[in-house]
Amino acid sequence: MPKSVDLRKSDILFLEVQRLVGRCLLLVLGLFVRFMVKNYYRISVEDQARLQNEYRVLIAGAKGPLILCPNHLTMVDSVIHAIFLNSIQGYFFNYASLPWSVPEHTKFYRKWHWRLVCYLGKCIPVLRNGPPEESRRTLAKMRYVLRRGDILSIFPEGRRSRTGKVDTKDFSYATGQLLKLEESPEVICLYVRGKKFGGFADFPNRNEEFHFSMEKIKLHSEFKGMKRARDYSSQIIQKLHTMEDEYFANTVSRQ
Amino acid sequence: MNQTEIYNEVVALIKPFAKNEEAFLKVSSESKILEDLGVNSARLVDIVLDFEEKFDIEVEDEAADNIRTIGDAVKLINAKIS
Repeated sequence: MPKSVDLRKSDILFLEVQRLVGRCLLLVLGLFVRFMVKNYYRISVEDQARLQNEYRVLIAGAKGPLILCPNHLTMVDSVIHAIFLNSIQGYFFNYASLPWSVPEHTKFYRKWHWRLVCYLGKCIPVLRNGPPEESRRTLAKMRYVLRRGDILSIFPEGRRSRTGKVDTKDFSYATGQLLKLEESPEVICLYVRGKKFGGFADFPNRNEEFHFSMEKIKLHSEFKGMKRARDYSSQIIQKLHTMEDEYFANTVSRQ
Repeated sequence: MNQTEIYNEVVALIKPFAKNEEAFLKVSSESKILEDLGVNSARLVDIVLDFEEKFDIEVEDEAADNIRTIGDAVKLINAKIS
């Protein structure tokens, strides 16, 4: 078991049991969710084989804690990412590759079936603007799963983009707050864009086809403390913004 | 620098981030920065970094977490510079 990071034993036990139960029920939940996404909602991604191969290579080459940082479009982004980044069999044999998500507690834990999906789908609830002790506890849980070798997914913008484009002005520093505690953190920046989707939405359109592009970056900062957190978050947002520019440049050149 | 001067500087630094302009007109030491003044929690980090620069101090994460009101910020800065 990995070294504790100021986390209660009960929290560690809870995370380990959650992980075990999730893995045991992965085939049932995973196949159901995959059916809903791919067959019922008919959502797809361009060049899935290339994408999954790229994801495998990126996570295999990681030398330490690995965080997935996608831009944020809809309420079910984490589900979409999980379905397309690896196969259900791939997750079963390498369960660490299924990223932990950090959904907002008040939004995602109101209904029992959402709670169940969050529990089985490797989620750590986050209470926005909660008491500092609770935030520190949540941070410790995130660090625990990272130390354990699992991947953690955090939206660096901190909220869904109101324009559908990466928000380079009003983004959160929460990702930086976590990363500044890790040595030589590695981040996979994931840029996602629905070809039919143009703005703020709860769910993607039916028959949506997504574009996914990924790049791994190693973060460096000369700063310390909160300045480092801001610097790290800014570097990630800047990378996603560059990837977005590349996407649009390629889209225009193809037309 | 006395408490009143620190208070005025703190209010001036928070002003650009306060979304609730009406509440800002009635700002006091008891005003809660996030809840009353409508400052986004992410921007609270920017405000604390502005405090560091303006008053030439260093604010630890835990101390920053405990800043809830304008009065908390003034008290913290006063303790750091005196």
